[in-house]
Amino acid sequence: MKSEFVFIALPASALIAPSAFAVQYLTVEQAQHAIFPGKSFTAAPVKLTSVQRKAIEQASGVRVLHDEQQVWRVSGGGWFIVDEVVGKHEFITYAAGLTPDGSVKQIEIMDYRETYGDQIRDQKWRAQFVGKTSKSTLKLDSDIKNISGATLSCRHITDGVKRLLACYEIALKH
Amino acid sequence: MRSRSSIEIRRCRPLLGTFVEITARGGDERLLARGIEAGFDAIARVNRLMSFHDPLSDVSRMNREAFPKGVFVHPWTWQVMRAAKRFAQESHGAFDITVAPLLTKWNYLPDRCYRFSPTSTWGDIFLRRHYEVFFCRNLIVDLGGIAKGFAVDRAVEALKDNGVRAGIVNAGGDLRTFGPDSQFIHLRHPVEPTRIAGAVRLRERAIATSGIYFERRKHHAQYVSPLLDGRSGRTVRELISVTVAAAECMVADALTKVVFALREEAACLLARYRADALLLERDGAPSWMFHSPCDTRDRTRFD
Repeated sequence: MKSEFVFIALPASALIAPSAFAVQYLTVEQAQHAIFPGKSFTAAPVKLTSVQRKAIEQASGVRVLHDEQQVWRVSGGGWFIVDEVVGKHEFITYAAGLTPDGSVKQIEIMDYRETYGDQIRDQKWRAQFVGKTSKSTLKLDSDIKNISGATLSCRHITDGVKRLLACYEIALKH
Repeated sequence: MRSRSSIEIRRCRPLLGTFVEITARGGDERLLARGIEAGFDAIARVNRLMSFHDPLSDVSRMNREAFPKGVFVHPWTWQVMRAAKRFAQESHGAFDITVAPLLTKWNYLPDRCYRFSPTSTWGDIFLRRHYEVFFCRNLIVDLGGIAKGFAVDRAVEALKDNGVRAGIVNAGGDLRTFGPDSQFIHLRHPVEPTRIAGAVRLRERAIATSGIYFERRKHHAQYVSPLLDGRSGRTVRELISVTVAAAECMVADALTKVVFALREEAACLLARYRADALLLERDGAPSWMFHSPCDTRDRTRFD
């Protein structure tokens, strides 16, 4: 079909219903393979003590929301970490691959949810993203796949990575 | 129509200060993954060259040394600077990459303590041979209004070079589609960004939307936004959005700023670039629409 610049307005009812935009890009296994192809992974979850927590907050300048950090040791060296950030309009799960010397190898967004602040505070709403086992590469709430219009800044991810690097120094390195 | 056996891979990474998403179709998984990697590499490269924040970027080097010495930059940076100068000329200064001092004042950009003379303008930028940029007065440039679109174009090029036949590169809402299928692109509601106001259908075309929903701030009891009219330094305060479609994403990206400043008067420039434009009002309804005259597509249809 040809390209046509015709604006198709949505019916008013579609505007009233809150349409949170959400995409699942990668499952944990897919993210592992994307960042460290051909490697194997050993789960090494980290439970932070309150002292470590404070040290991470001090070193990174970013608040630590969870005591537990999902970490995997990568065969041949390196770390794979799954983390989440919550902003005013977003709830994002992402994976970070760290090289054996603790520098960032790659960041992949796993889940991207964009919505209103009050939904994010709702525990039940958040619970639906925990423990996903879906094998599909992509899941959408509706047919909305591509949106034009300034998206959110990735500042929260940048802060999250700062926190993970501090976590590496304090809780993983030794 | 897309064949049912074709697979699609979609990845997202934090780059250019936003979320960059690449979708690739048409080929086996390996080919698509390699193409996506090359696409992200191209965007990361633009990020390194044109970041205002990174002290090692071409942009930072220009801001430190283009006056009085001149600076040699990467051909990509040169290309963007040349385009920026052309847009400034053609829009009579409505599009302007030298408004950084105001953006710094309003905290949209970090203060790097560069020196600048208040009366300097984009006209003080000179592009010399061998990719040298020279400022004849102290000024500060920021390519935030154009580099994102350029990055999308380079990523699309990289995907195609790697054999990917179809896909979309979306850098924080500035996107470009390629391949045989047309795509529905939804537009954010100008006032409530988590809602959708409508959609347009695109094939082999780029689209960019500018609005201030996520970026409006208070400065001395007045709202400001990073969208400025380069001629007056006046900031956009209305919660409306401007969408521009063009062959290249860099053109679409830059022209949204021009349409914000010039509105209907931008029609000439839009026509020159064979671009379409759409202005959405506070209620999400279109108040102005421009179709580039030189194409064979359907005429305006408001549903």
